[in-house]
Amino acid sequence: MANTFGNSYGLTTLCPIINGRHNNTALDKITRRRIQLLKENSASPFARIPNTYFARLFILNDVFFEQGNDVARDHLKSKYLVFTSNFHGDLDTYLSGMWQHAEAEIRHIWQHAVAFNNVQNEKDFIAYIKKCQLTTSLFFNGSTDDTLQDQLKSLYIKQAFTEFALTHQGKTAAQLRAAFNQFIRQVDIHNPVSPAWSPGQETLSDLNPLQQR
Amino acid sequence: MNRPLDLDDIQGNICKGYGRYGFPKARYFFLQFHTPDQGRRCLHQLIPLITNAEPWAADGDSPLKPDVTTNIAFTYAGLEALGLPQRSLNGFPGEFRMGMKSRADILGDNGPSAPEHWDPVWQGEGIHAWVSINGRDMDAVETRFSVIRGIISDTGGVSIRPGHRGADNTLLPWQDASAVYENGKVTPKEHFGYVDGIGNPYFEGCGNDPSRLPGRGKLNKEGQWQPLATGEFILGHVDEAQEYPLAPEPHLLAHNGTFMVYRKLHENVTTFHHYVDSVAQDFDGSRELLMAKFSGRWPDNGAPLTLAPDDEAKAALDQQLASLTEKADKGDACAAAQLKALKDQWIDFTYADDKHGSRCPIGAHIRRANTRASLETQKGAFNTPSALDDRRRLLRRGLPYGGGQKEASDATEQGIIFMCLGASIERQFEFIQQQWINYSNDFHLGNDKDVLIGSNNGRLTDKHIIQTQPKSGKAPFFCSHLPRMVETRGGDYFFIPSITALNMIAQGIIDPT
Amino acid sequence: MSNVAGKAYGMNVLTPLRWWTALWQKLIFWVVVKTFPYFLKGLLTLSLIHYARWTIINRWSFPRLDKTQPKETLTYSYMLFESNFNGSWDQYIDSFSFAIPGGLDMFWRWNIKYPKSIPLHDFYHYIRFNQIECDHYYNAYPLASANDVKSAKRLTGNLRSFADSLTDNMTDEAFMDAYRQFLADNQHALGSMGDSPLMSTSHQLVQHHKQVNTAHEKQPEEEA
Ligand code: HEM
Repeated sequence: MANTFGNSYGLTTLCPIINGRHNNTALDKITRRRIQLLKENSASPFARIPNTYFARLFILNDVFFEQGNDVARDHLKSKYLVFTSNFHGDLDTYLSGMWQHAEAEIRHIWQHAVAFNNVQNEKDFIAYIKKCQLTTSLFFNGSTDDTLQDQLKSLYIKQAFTEFALTHQGKTAAQLRAAFNQFIRQVDIHNPVSPAWSPGQETLSDLNPLQQR
Repeated sequence: MNRPLDLDDIQGNICKGYGRYGFPKARYFFLQFHTPDQGRRCLHQLIPLITNAEPWAADGDSPLKPDVTTNIAFTYAGLEALGLPQRSLNGFPGEFRMGMKSRADILGDNGPSAPEHWDPVWQGEGIHAWVSINGRDMDAVETRFSVIRGIISDTGGVSIRPGHRGADNTLLPWQDASAVYENGKVTPKEHFGYVDGIGNPYFEGCGNDPSRLPGRGKLNKEGQWQPLATGEFILGHVDEAQEYPLAPEPHLLAHNGTFMVYRKLHENVTTFHHYVDSVAQDFDGSRELLMAKFSGRWPDNGAPLTLAPDDEAKAALDQQLASLTEKADKGDACAAAQLKALKDQWIDFTYADDKHGSRCPIGAHIRRANTRASLETQKGAFNTPSALDDRRRLLRRGLPYGGGQKEASDATEQGIIFMCLGASIERQFEFIQQQWINYSNDFHLGNDKDVLIGSNNGRLTDKHIIQTQPKSGKAPFFCSHLPRMVETRGGDYFFIPSITALNMIAQGIIDPT
Repeated sequence: MSNVAGKAYGMNVLTPLRWWTALWQKLIFWVVVKTFPYFLKGLLTLSLIHYARWTIINRWSFPRLDKTQPKETLTYSYMLFESNFNGSWDQYIDSFSFAIPGGLDMFWRWNIKYPKSIPLHDFYHYIRFNQIECDHYYNAYPLASANDVKSAKRLTGNLRSFADSLTDNMTDEAFMDAYRQFLADNQHALGSMGDSPLMSTSHQLVQHHKQVNTAHEKQPEEEA
């Protein structure tokens, strides 16, 4: 119904975890531990997966009881690995990219998910995730639906140009013009790949090479 | 609608900015209670001196205006030291319990403002109570101070914590504060040279003249000014969220009390003036205009930039002001009325006609600290125009300190004892300080910070944008490399109990059971 | 575990609704989508959210992938709300519920025991009570808020057109005028970039522990 908003996609999946134990540890606990120990930001596997704006993993242990004697008490029979992602593009391409760039982590994280042992390849993975997918009722995009590369390039330009504008206030017209032309070449303004911010980047880009004009 | 407040139960500094009532001198000092019982006994003796919020009048039922006022407030450690039950202590909000030092990284108290550089009085533990004396003159303050010192030495087990840095690096057992004087006359200025103390919220039941409402209240859907809910500033009353603010138990402990932030903010006057001088050389406008573009108000008379956005307009305004004043002084009633209407515009304004900040920059101090409905960038988008502001207002109760030297410099002692009051330190003061002073996402200005009090570090991108009229062909002006103009030199979070609660704390009968 | 990644806060809230009112709720969302942006004007103006979504999980539609997996037998359907916004819930709850109380009430209209967004403490606790923490939260641009991403897009687009519009035969002065005009047109996109303000002292503690853990993990390697 509303998984998409323009070119952005909101993927919601609930992947049941096998009710079992391994070496005396419940499989959901093993899974939780694994996702908690994933490296973060630029070291997160999601940083390698093309076009991921935001993604998250958590374990749904049970549903909540809203308390009172006028409310039924539900319980889940399985625990679920919840994987959600906000990305640019269509689902198949995204999931292919996921498998291609993070197969090892995917196998590690989903190892104890129900029926995941049948997943042998990219195609299986795509089919698997689609089986776990829920349709979003309302997807709100308060940002943009550009490719991640475009977003990251723009952020780099914003950082670099702001600094350019500050550095060159008060320059003569000729100086400014020369510097500006050089700036535009250096930031390679039509090149979406480089220079740009990198996915998950935690510190500002070093603009020193630009500054030495 | 709340019923009238029990002003005789509310401490006076909550409802009155004493500076405005002719008390230009103040002394603040801090008590340590060594045993709960002695602390309570001392407090018991002090209570008769505490000033409440009843209006002062020359005659009639109301009390006369005194020569001196006294108020008292406690840190979390202080309430603990006075033996408040744990259950009551547990009900205080987290940030108050942690105290200001532990909130340093929320507040931007880093570098030269980091707690390890604060005045010695703030090092270690043991700040339990804040006592303030405001006086018409220093004699009145001194007299009251010796009375209190007498009480303290009589009861024993209570000490005044020393270690406030004073002139010439001396350490004093108190912090004196004073309005800035020019040629022997009191001015409303602070040490950078700005007129201060104009904007302050108007709330239901505050006891202030209703003519003060426009520009100080909140804006309803129809764009009219209304008093803010009492509960934004006083505990035990309904707030803007149609509920009672978070408060400890029992009710009587919190009711009619509030929280206070105390911060000693040092002003690096040399840094400030050097920066202004150097930037003014490239700036298209006077030095005064530049200063105004930092704060949002003209330094000399506090006229808001929304009223006079450039030198020309300011000159015209000054002329108008002078001529109306002259006529009014001669008894021209019409001119007097016009003068009053003009002066009302000092406070009764919004940024509705200044979306781009070409008059008052979006990052100017007063536009950050009180956004006056300007965050509703699309008309009608929010529940009310000032929906994002009404929960973030501050009652400011500060005074300048130091100064008076021949040659003021960064090294000499001067600044503002900044005090602000509100029902939630976290939601009001901390939010403003962190999100609006030291950050700008809500203004769509990224990580820019306040020029005057932001935790800037002189880097290229520590900057302020003086916006321009979009199609004017003029470029915006960037003030980059902003230095740290103001440094924190100490402070803490305090609870100001009602008179009733003070008595109960002194009796030791606060019982949340 | 952390709900924080740079300037973004990742919130998950799971709340029950009666299976048939879940259908009403879906209808509401359908209307919101069809009339976009009418009901979302407040949220857009607030401009704190990168991406958010409301997903109704019918009580019969929890994924079941294998016969060995026990079938869920639930009384209620559920709504999963997922948001990526700037600032923490504690910091910005007042902004959300003051700016758009009607919108929030509409989006949770049919949820069991939803207290309405005003008074605020009940709403705050309702969300917190039903919140599920992220075990792993990834943000492609920890240094950028949604406002930063949007203004960067505008600025870059404009800068490209501006650069492309320049010609070799224009005078320096003409360039200067055009440049000034460019700055004026883009003055609201020139905020400095930088780190997120600290969302809480608790989060600061967690960051510190993680650093200690990493340092600790590295040591044996260095010794070897
Ligand atoms: C040394 C430190 C400071 C200086 C020099 C300073 C200066 C000023 C000046 C010149 C004004 C304009 C006069 C007026 O409207 O009353 C002002 C207003 C104001 N300041 Fe400050 N200030 C300082 C610290 C702070 C702090 C720490 C805060 C809060 C975080 C703050 C919040 C406000 C508010 C709320 C207003 C009134 C804005 C309005 O209602 O329009 N100030 N300040």
